[in-house]
Amino acid sequence: MSSGKRITLQQAAEIVKNGSSLTFSGFTIWRRPFALVYELIRQRRKGLHLIEVNGGPQTEFLVGAGCVDIWESCWVGHELYGKYGANLSRKVGNKEILVEDYSHAEMLFRFSAAASGAPYAVTQTSLGTDIHNPAYDTLGNAGLRDGRRIPRHKYRFTEDPFFGAGAQVMVPAAKVDVAILCVQQVGEEGTVRVNGQFYSDPEVARAADVTIVMAEEIVPEEYLRRDSDLNTITSFEVDHILEVPFGAHPTGMFGRYDVDGAFLKDFYGRTRTQEGFDDFAKEWIHGLDHLGYLEKLGWPKMLNLKANTALKYSTGVKRGQ
Amino acid sequence: MNKEFAKPEEYGLADLLCCAASREVQDNEIVFAGTGLPMVAIMLAQKTHAPNLKLIFEAGTLDGRPPEIPTSVGDARCEMGASRSSGLHDAFSIAQRGYVDLGFLGGAEVDQYGNVNTTCIGDYLSPELRLTGSGGNPDINSFAKRTVFIMVHEKRRFTEQVSYITSPGWRVRNWPGGETVHRRELYGAAYRGGPSAVISTLGVFRFDEESGRIYLDTCHAGNTPEQIRDMCQFDLDISRVSGETLPPTREELHYIHEVLDPEQIFIPKVKPV
Repeated sequence: MSSGKRITLQQAAEIVKNGSSLTFSGFTIWRRPFALVYELIRQRRKGLHLIEVNGGPQTEFLVGAGCVDIWESCWVGHELYGKYGANLSRKVGNKEILVEDYSHAEMLFRFSAAASGAPYAVTQTSLGTDIHNPAYDTLGNAGLRDGRRIPRHKYRFTEDPFFGAGAQVMVPAAKVDVAILCVQQVGEEGTVRVNGQFYSDPEVARAADVTIVMAEEIVPEEYLRRDSDLNTITSFEVDHILEVPFGAHPTGMFGRYDVDGAFLKDFYGRTRTQEGFDDFAKEWIHGLDHLGYLEKLGWPKMLNLKANTALKYSTGVKRGQ
Repeated sequence: MNKEFAKPEEYGLADLLCCAASREVQDNEIVFAGTGLPMVAIMLAQKTHAPNLKLIFEAGTLDGRPPEIPTSVGDARCEMGASRSSGLHDAFSIAQRGYVDLGFLGGAEVDQYGNVNTTCIGDYLSPELRLTGSGGNPDINSFAKRTVFIMVHEKRRFTEQVSYITSPGWRVRNWPGGETVHRRELYGAAYRGGPSAVISTLGVFRFDEESGRIYLDTCHAGNTPEQIRDMCQFDLDISRVSGETLPPTREELHYIHEVLDPEQIFIPKVKPV
């Protein structure tokens, strides 16, 4: 049975409006929905509010392209291939972007709260740090805390009223308009099967108002339902699906392909300046579609990244010196 | 296997740091691993003195035994051999529940109370340089019984007071007022410990749990306590120095370079002279 959830990359990008809040699947340099990130840049989306459990190259591309006004998260970089987010750093220096810092666990618990319909989560993490410095409430300082999509407070303190365990911090649910996931398999009706670590994908998919799943392959729903215990996200939590092979490149995908470290290193090295970013975007984003991008990468590169089906990672990539 | 100490020309600084970090791990402990050199250090401990340690990767691999070193904690190389491949909710819940004995972390700046900054250099509201942000640094540091920091030693990085407390040391800020208190007072029932060591490129430092102040424990070969004190912006306590940091053994070097990181992803091989 077809559910009519299939859309194209262009249609998927159009669901994300100027000013939308947005989040992604994956973890740092793994399983980021790049084909769609590139399409958002081609369509010159503006004023995005990224709310991410953790950032990565997708943050850096969108920020560098000027699509993002607010970034709420805990980390951005390229792991081994670029030690910090140079585009974000440049825009912070020029005061062209607002950054709201939480800790990693706080961001995760914020999405868990949103995913379970709770207004906030309570935790004992990061007490005593400047993450809780009231002067560093960026969205509050900017007068943006309207209590609708943006919570009235960055955090609140409370005392454990049940067991007397002491200070607790309450962090607001992460309410987002759109989640874009990039996974190995999705069924025609939206059932998702993630292979390997699923990071925070179940939480972000459930937290968002609209969930778009970009998969390496769309498979018969019946195939996934034969072994439903292996599935990760429920059919009806997914609104739109699309098939985009190699859609996470330059990030990696368990069982399919490795991170393209050389590509990320090149991006990191060349995009310290806005001119450098614009030049990189001209070469790799504008004027291309997804197939054109893959053609430009070329088969030798893609075969090199392709995972060994027994080991689930590539044995061909050169990782060290 | 040859447990003799290697000669100075047989190893590099990264080998020394890796082995010093590895020796912080005790057998049967549950260890939270970050990307990079700590991952090699923990897996080295797993191969040598701590075969029963349990490894958690922040991205969601629980009790991992990766046959090949992962490049990052989200890597496809984490999964094989693990008890479970899961997600962040499991990793952080397990940590908050109190399972984690030891975490390895890094930082751009550390101060005399073990507070660490990975967020920005200079004033937060108008920074000279925005860095990566916290990642899981404060979380692991809040939840684990002990944390060990591995850092490049430069005078500007060893400060009296970090410009932004990303990760809580022994004396932290009590918000909303911001007065400095011992972390024990803030964490209540969740208090389990705190930073236990800083392994820098010059020496190994530890903390007095009561005063929360850092002191020098061992110097890496070729450095004197006085020289290391001169490389800190605060008055480093050098009255408790126990000696020189022990060099790697030949067995440890064998594991690092032949088994764990033969591709030299994190630890370069010293070229024979």
